[in-house]
Amino acid sequence: MSAEKAKKTVPYTVPIGPVHPALKEPVMFTFGMEGEIVRTVDFAPGQTHRGIEWMGMRRNPVQIVHLTDRICGICGIVHSLSFARAVEQIAEIEVPERADYIRTILHELERIQSHLLWAGVAAHELGFDSLFYLAWRVREQSMDLIENLTGNRVNYGIVQIGGVRRDISDEQRALVEKGLDYYQGLLDQMATLFLKDSTILMRCRGHGILSGDDARLLCTVGPTARASGLNMDVRQDYPYCAYGDLDVKAILPPPETGGPQGDVYDRIIVRLLEVGQSIGIIRQCLGQLPAGEILWEPKMAKLLSVLKKAEGEGIGRVEAPRGECMHYVKMAGKEAPDSWKVKASSYSNLMSWIPMLQGEQLADIPIIVASIDPCLSCTDRVAVTRNGQSDILTKEDLTRLSREKTRRMMQ
Amino acid sequence: MIETLPALLAGAVLVAAFSIIIGLLLMGFDRIVAARMQARIGPPLTQPFTDIRKLLAKENVVPENAIPWLFNLAPIIALASAITILFYLPIGGFAPVLSGGGDLILVMYLLTLPALALVAGGFASGSPYATVGAQREMVTMIAYEFPLAIVVVAIAWRLAAAGISLPFSLATIEANPVWGLVGPLGAIGLLILLIVLLIVTPAELSRVPFDTPEAETELAGGILVEYSGKNLALFSLTQGVKTVAMASLVVALFFPYRLAAIAGISGFAGAVIDLLVYIVLITLVAFISVSVIRVAMARFRINQVVSVYWIYLAIAGLAGLLLVMVDQIMGVV
Amino acid sequence: MAGLPLLPELVRQLFSRPATNAFPSRHLPPSITGFLAKVARGEATIHPPIPTPPKFRGKIVYDREACIGCSLCLRVCPAHAIEFIPETKRVRIYVTQCIFCSQCNDVCPKNALHMSHEFLLATEDRYAESQIVE
Ligand code: SF4
Ligand code: SF4
Repeated sequence: MSAEKAKKTVPYTVPIGPVHPALKEPVMFTFGMEGEIVRTVDFAPGQTHRGIEWMGMRRNPVQIVHLTDRICGICGIVHSLSFARAVEQIAEIEVPERADYIRTILHELERIQSHLLWAGVAAHELGFDSLFYLAWRVREQSMDLIENLTGNRVNYGIVQIGGVRRDISDEQRALVEKGLDYYQGLLDQMATLFLKDSTILMRCRGHGILSGDDARLLCTVGPTARASGLNMDVRQDYPYCAYGDLDVKAILPPPETGGPQGDVYDRIIVRLLEVGQSIGIIRQCLGQLPAGEILWEPKMAKLLSVLKKAEGEGIGRVEAPRGECMHYVKMAGKEAPDSWKVKASSYSNLMSWIPMLQGEQLADIPIIVASIDPCLSCTDRVAVTRNGQSDILTKEDLTRLSREKTRRMMQ
Repeated sequence: MIETLPALLAGAVLVAAFSIIIGLLLMGFDRIVAARMQARIGPPLTQPFTDIRKLLAKENVVPENAIPWLFNLAPIIALASAITILFYLPIGGFAPVLSGGGDLILVMYLLTLPALALVAGGFASGSPYATVGAQREMVTMIAYEFPLAIVVVAIAWRLAAAGISLPFSLATIEANPVWGLVGPLGAIGLLILLIVLLIVTPAELSRVPFDTPEAETELAGGILVEYSGKNLALFSLTQGVKTVAMASLVVALFFPYRLAAIAGISGFAGAVIDLLVYIVLITLVAFISVSVIRVAMARFRINQVVSVYWIYLAIAGLAGLLLVMVDQIMGVV
Repeated sequence: MAGLPLLPELVRQLFSRPATNAFPSRHLPPSITGFLAKVARGEATIHPPIPTPPKFRGKIVYDREACIGCSLCLRVCPAHAIEFIPETKRVRIYVTQCIFCSQCNDVCPKNALHMSHEFLLATEDRYAESQIVE
């Protein structure tokens, strides 16, 4: 329902966004309220469009792969991995096995840090800051591991077309194992802190419900879909990297907690269990890490010339911490790709906000919005233009507007 | 009791200055312990003073669709009424500045005044967040008044049952500490009442889990969202003074002892000891009912705030009252 | 405690050392930028010392003598942070634009580019001396 129409049918509207403490990234919500109850929901993404695809069309794949690192500030590997996989498909590049395993290990370490980050954010949205600090503190361990393996904390720069850029040494292996032991020991404690807390239970159980049918109809992905009982996970359904050799099953809310109910609480459960699953996957990978090369072609000049000749279309899909992430690439024998399309996982999940939020209280908005772990700057691929009027403000526009305002204030 | 007008004024100024300073120190203390409990370093003890100084230097922004006079008046009323509460409460060994004029009932009314001023300011801001915040503040007020009243009535009733006249007067309560009047059953009842009062305090002060009117992640500061500069500074001071007032009320009701007199120390040394004991006690109360509660819980929804107070705490309070009554009847029999 | 499982941990933390650091110095300096300038001059040190991981990619360093001006690095730089100066046949790197991917290091045939461990790079001037490597 449009915001104008909503105004007529509900007593009053509350705008949340584009910038608001409940939102970690910009998106504009308009809620039609009746007392404290949300009656209508409308939202407008596209507030943080950065034109990254446009940049990509002017660069060669070896350059783009590091741009993709910057699509998301949390998922440093999923975008570069799915882009690289799409290009590898087109150029028929075979990734060495060892590289596939290293990609998998980092992919799962990233899931651990991302889910812990989310857990902290969720606690903060509930007004439970102590738990937020605790979750983010234990997250540091995984950040340290990633930093050690790749060189940097967030923008890893580890994926290259045809493999990975850095190997895992024996010392690093020992470090990773130590880190995994740390998390293994922590899992039970985290589960108690999040799932046994009566205030969290009061706020999350039975709220923000997304039924299994709605989840399927709205094409949700990742933990959001699994918490509603959909048995889907790209790692299980279409194995990539090393997942074909590993034992990965989609995680659904277990019967002990009452099976999938599709509420916020189930989304917490699924993510916590996935941290445990990731630990298991990394252990398996370390156990059967094959020896060998890590790059298909270490000489970059040669790689570039191969990529320049490549022609065709490719799709890279990976299971990001938030769900399936997909990159479509079309190459036509030129330096730069002919077309490049990024579909971040949150893109599929955003619409589920509407059934989740309707009928809930104003107080539940932050936690429900956060419960799908939205990543908006990854998602925004367009900015809206209406009636010939552009909603995109360039730097010049902003400077002009601020100057005008200053003048008004000085009068 | 202070008789002359100049002495009265001097006392009032002293109490106001004292409550503001102690209030800000308590806020600083709360921030440090909360930080330590969350494994952070936290700000220095004097951080609230720095904050206030900075706010006072800032411009007041009045939103376009606010009602300016009410918007600007609300913070002044809030601070003034919060300080007035302390005129009626004993501070340390000192009798209340206005001891002759008021009793517990008056204190209870005065306690609602800063909150009402806040509500008025919120509605006057003309922002949807502040409006929702103000509505929630009213609901919260109605919710916690009931258990608070039970506690006050229980204590006064016990004093009246013991044949003491003027049971609502704070001087009477101080002269006859309730713990001395009750048997073991009554003591359990009083303990329950004490806990109820300690849980009412965070709502009175708008702290997590009862900070729904301000709810940072939902309402971006809710009732205070439009306030800035000096007005916000006044509300921050109010917050500090209210902390002192609530803690003093808890101390006045449940620990009305003058240790110096009991130990036989009089004069200046006695007054200093009483004052120190009082400060330690209110710090302890603030620690338990502000810091510990707020770090250990998630924020409640507004309907949960109501059910916590109207159902759980009301039942607990009534149980406490019942125990005190049974204890008294058994004592008589 | 029933229902509030975090409480015991909070009490434990109250009596243990905080997990956060007083960064970048033990006590707040009058001016952070002034303090960092001092650090850059070697007159003060960062507290606590921040260890960088072995493969850390900090500010780029350029060996002008080794470079042969092949401009291969320009082709792989995702950020267009490298500029080729035709007169001198050497390159210039704009650190404010660099995204620290180190791809230019990999491609350089003469090993003329490296990533250092320096990470406190923020300034207010894009074209400050510290932000241009040549
Ligand atoms: S490190 Fe990367 S971004 Fe920086 S100059 Fe080299 S190639 Fe360009
Ligand atoms: S690739 Fe190396 S040698 Fe070639 S221009 Fe760049 S820095 Fe110089």
